[in-house]
Amino acid sequence: MTSNVIDKDIATIFDIQRFSVHDGPGIRTLIFFKGCSLQCAWCQNPESIRPQKEMAFYEDRCIGCYKCEDACSYGAILKDIHQRIDWGKCTACGDCAEVCPENAIRIVGKSYSAQELLEECLKDKTFYDASGGGITLSGGEPVLHVSFLERFLSMVKENTISVLLETAGNYPFSLLESILSFIDCIYYDYKLPGSDEYRQYTGSDNKRIIENIKRLLSLSFPLDIRIPLIPGINTTPEQIAQMCETLSNIGIKEVHLLKYNFLWEAKIPRLNTKQRVMNLSDNILDYDKIKEYFNMHSIKALL
Amino acid sequence: MHEGPKSSSMAMDHTSQKKEVSQKFKSLGSIPVNSRLKALREDILNSQYHICTQKALLLTEYFRKHVKIDPLTRALSAIHYKAYVRSIEKASQQVYQKRWQVRLNNKLNAFYIVRERLSKAQRRIEFAKAFRYILENMELRAYELELIVGNPSSYRVGSPIHPDLGGLLMLPEIDMLDRREQNPLDIEKEQIRALREEIFPYWFNRSVLARIPLYSHNPDLFNIMLEGSHFILTQFAGISHVTPDYPTILRLGFKGIRDRILNKMDEVKSEIKSAREVAGDPEAFRAKVMLLEDKLAFYEASRIVAEAAINYGRRWSAYLKTEAEKVKDDIRKAELLELSDIFKNIPENPASSFYEAVQCVFITHAMLHQESFQHGISFGRMDQYLYDYYKQDIENGKITPEKAVEILGCFVGKAGELLPLFFNRATEYFSGLSSASGITLGGKNEDGSDAVNELSYLILLAYDQIRLRQPNFHIRVHPEAPPEFLELSYEVLKKGGGLPAFFNDETIVPAMVRTGFSEEDAIDYSIVGCVEWGCPNKSFPAAGAGFINLAMALHLALHNGYFGDYKIGQQTGLPETFKSMEDLLSAYKTQLVHMLSLATEGNDAIEMAHAYHRPTPFLSIIIDGCIDSGEEINDGGAIYNTTGFQGIGIADVVDSLTAIEQIVFNENKISLKDFTEIIDDNFSKDQELRDYIVNKVPKYGENTGSADRYAGLISEVYAEEILKFSNPRGGKYAPGFWSMTTHQGFGRRMGALPSGRLAGVPLANGISPCNGWDRKGPTASMVAASHINNSLITNGYALNQKLNLDYLNGTEGNMLLDGLIRGYFDMGGMQVQFNIVDPQILIDAKKHPERYPDLVVRVSGYSAYFNDLTESMKEELIDRTLHCLENCSCG
Repeated sequence: MTSNVIDKDIATIFDIQRFSVHDGPGIRTLIFFKGCSLQCAWCQNPESIRPQKEMAFYEDRCIGCYKCEDACSYGAILKDIHQRIDWGKCTACGDCAEVCPENAIRIVGKSYSAQELLEECLKDKTFYDASGGGITLSGGEPVLHVSFLERFLSMVKENTISVLLETAGNYPFSLLESILSFIDCIYYDYKLPGSDEYRQYTGSDNKRIIENIKRLLSLSFPLDIRIPLIPGINTTPEQIAQMCETLSNIGIKEVHLLKYNFLWEAKIPRLNTKQRVMNLSDNILDYDKIKEYFNMHSIKALL
Repeated sequence: MHEGPKSSSMAMDHTSQKKEVSQKFKSLGSIPVNSRLKALREDILNSQYHICTQKALLLTEYFRKHVKIDPLTRALSAIHYKAYVRSIEKASQQVYQKRWQVRLNNKLNAFYIVRERLSKAQRRIEFAKAFRYILENMELRAYELELIVGNPSSYRVGSPIHPDLGGLLMLPEIDMLDRREQNPLDIEKEQIRALREEIFPYWFNRSVLARIPLYSHNPDLFNIMLEGSHFILTQFAGISHVTPDYPTILRLGFKGIRDRILNKMDEVKSEIKSAREVAGDPEAFRAKVMLLEDKLAFYEASRIVAEAAINYGRRWSAYLKTEAEKVKDDIRKAELLELSDIFKNIPENPASSFYEAVQCVFITHAMLHQESFQHGISFGRMDQYLYDYYKQDIENGKITPEKAVEILGCFVGKAGELLPLFFNRATEYFSGLSSASGITLGGKNEDGSDAVNELSYLILLAYDQIRLRQPNFHIRVHPEAPPEFLELSYEVLKKGGGLPAFFNDETIVPAMVRTGFSEEDAIDYSIVGCVEWGCPNKSFPAAGAGFINLAMALHLALHNGYFGDYKIGQQTGLPETFKSMEDLLSAYKTQLVHMLSLATEGNDAIEMAHAYHRPTPFLSIIIDGCIDSGEEINDGGAIYNTTGFQGIGIADVVDSLTAIEQIVFNENKISLKDFTEIIDDNFSKDQELRDYIVNKVPKYGENTGSADRYAGLISEVYAEEILKFSNPRGGKYAPGFWSMTTHQGFGRRMGALPSGRLAGVPLANGISPCNGWDRKGPTASMVAASHINNSLITNGYALNQKLNLDYLNGTEGNMLLDGLIRGYFDMGGMQVQFNIVDPQILIDAKKHPERYPDLVVRVSGYSAYFNDLTESMKEELIDRTLHCLENCSCG
């Protein structure tokens, strides 16, 4: 059983955060799945985009002991203080991370079987029960792990744990449909004014994203639309007007706004990523005004 | 059939009534801000801390007058005093008494005792009369605006010194007391003179401190105690950590108590008479009469103190009347006259109103502090024993909830006026000047139903208006506790100050029953002092008696019983002889048991010295059991007689064992011998190894298998082993895991540990994870803490959980707190307290103490003003709070 596990049983998870209080009601365990079907320029978790495991290097923690060099079988360790990993040679085997006494090199992504992941979730079960919490699937795009989720979520449900899904919606509806019966509520991201902007900033248009919202609405599925505010990209009156039009057209009356989080930029130098620092700041944003714009277009905005 | 509907509708009435109450008082604003309480709070906060020598002077005056010293003793003790003071001064600089000095002291003390010609019975009576003398002559003072009066000390905020107990240890420091770095106290020149020339010369060889060594065979014991790296014993400072039987005092008054005493005296007298009449075995006859005479002396002493209490009330009544006459303001005049009338009734007679009851509790508290040490003297379940008085007054229209809050607020303020006095070294272990008086609210009734009532709410609301460092507020939680009441307590907590703390009825009651408390008494538990659960009214739990450095037991196990060059432990073998974790654990256990036997021997000596040389007659008549048995509380007169001993640094031991298991026995990275050498060198030769341990070995608090397993094991071993020891009062030693600031004192004296903790760094507090190593947020550390074996812990534990204010706002925040508490309690947790403070404020307060005189923080089990903490404690708190922001997922 242990030697020959089928893919369906394994998911790559890059973080499990217990006592999460901003991603759904009550005390929740937040599970970050690796791999995404969008590549947002401002992605908060640049390490989530690639489905495979990868390495990260924390320059400020390195003491220059080069234990990593001895451990690496691929000659992928560079002597450059700013860049320790030769991304071209690295296979993300993780041997260097294992020997690094400072956790300066880390492996991003760990394989979990459904059973292992369930055990992590069960550790805080009494807290979910006492607070009306549960687990929240996040990422990356959790829905891409649909075959794993079918198995994992059925086990979660046997333990009567509430499940919340955070998704960007860019996939065929059939994927979501097969796990919908396990999910209690969806936090659904809608990010940009229209298809052009979606293509420009996320690498994909918004057709399926809109389509999937419609499908969920037609099923009356519990759904919160969330809009991450990106200064100057979806915050001007015109941009908001366009977003509201799109959303109103499909019957959305209320959205949750998420304040811009610039902390992701700290992660960029640590990773092998195409994402670039944007130097955006939310100092320029007047959140009350933004809410007002939404209200002007008959969409209630909550912050 | 007929009864059915009726009783069920009654039950509904009761429930709906409760519901109504909870709706009325469930929010912080439900009682408007009271201007009197606001002003009182300012007055107390603005009072200088002052040492109080009133009790010391009056006690000395009485004894000098009535207990004659023969000329030889006088001559000898004049020389002895000088030498003894020198040795105390040296000890304060860590130069300890030589064995010959200990022996000589003992010889001299034995000689004094012979010359004193004072039997145990006579001593009892003399101390009772001295107590009476103090109450007759101490200054009375009602401060402006007060509705509850009483003076635990002669200053508004004062700290009595006790020469009859361990006060002499202050002597090397009294000149510097107002300038000392930590917890400075004002002291007058005249006070210093009196202490040096009158008070200590009389008591230095009669105090409990002087006589402890007579009860121990170990000449090094005293030095080990003072040195403070292995264990700390506290009871040489006095008899404290107890909850007097306030319900009985309110019900009977001291006249009723005196009547019980007189009845018992008559019984004993007639027993003596009948014993005389029976001829026969003269030896048995003599023994019996001696025993009865002893009891008679106990009752005589009891009668004296009961009457002293009655007269003290009358003194107050007269004083308040005179004060009223002096006052111009009519309103204040009326208030003082009302108080004067109250003292015509209490504490002599049963309390007849809520106001009288509250005043009676406080005046008893104030009297008690004329006898022994001011630490952990607690108020028990106030919402329960005051409720009938409140209900009756509400029904008669005699009082309103607002007025009750005003009275309670005045009471709570008074309870914050007392400071314990610690010499410098002790301050390291008990920083913060917290008198640790506990008030317990909520919980269950005897039949298991919920006990929350209107007063439970009002007491919390009264605290909210006063918000001083003391007393400590404790909430008993169980599944049927009303959500509104808990919500109010969360609101109180979120405003800062770390109060209240939360306790789990579902695990505490069974643990108490398992270790010998009756079901009925266990369900009535309340908190003594910081976190110690125990039975109020009828026990002397001595809950803060001892603190054992568990990390030292591990150190000794790794060093064949040596601490530096000093062999204090057992020879359990060198590290290279340990072939497995089992070998190491067995050595740890041997060292622990050896430390426990040394520490309990020391505490036994202290308790015996108290019993013989410093009886506490007043406390003895207000703890149930003593009057019935005719025995002093120090002789085991109470119904329950435990002694609380705390294990300190459990997280350090657990993390150390986890590290050794992983890198020595599983990964074979290094031998235990080499590892020990690296640790002894404070990791300076192998910093990488330390980093590896810190970063790669799972820690207690992260909720991982091996650390959780060791937490269960180490707590169980400690509880089982300490429960094997008995104290001289016929009770058991009771296990607890809470530290006050002893984790700092111990940590400062210890080298590095296998956990990666460096030399001198504080140990972990209570059952909390090591500082900064609870890297997976509050639920993980709570699940980890739930692995602490909860089946035998009867003397409390403290889990300090830090939380950030930013996600606790509003009712959603309350739900999170509720979820954390209930989730943790469902897993078997026993206690938790939260520190909710903004680190920026703490940083500013450290820089500008003058701006934050009222900033209260919770320090491992008790509450203290931030300004009263040692600098290192302040840093620890800031680190703890900052760490939470930066590293936890909860940030």
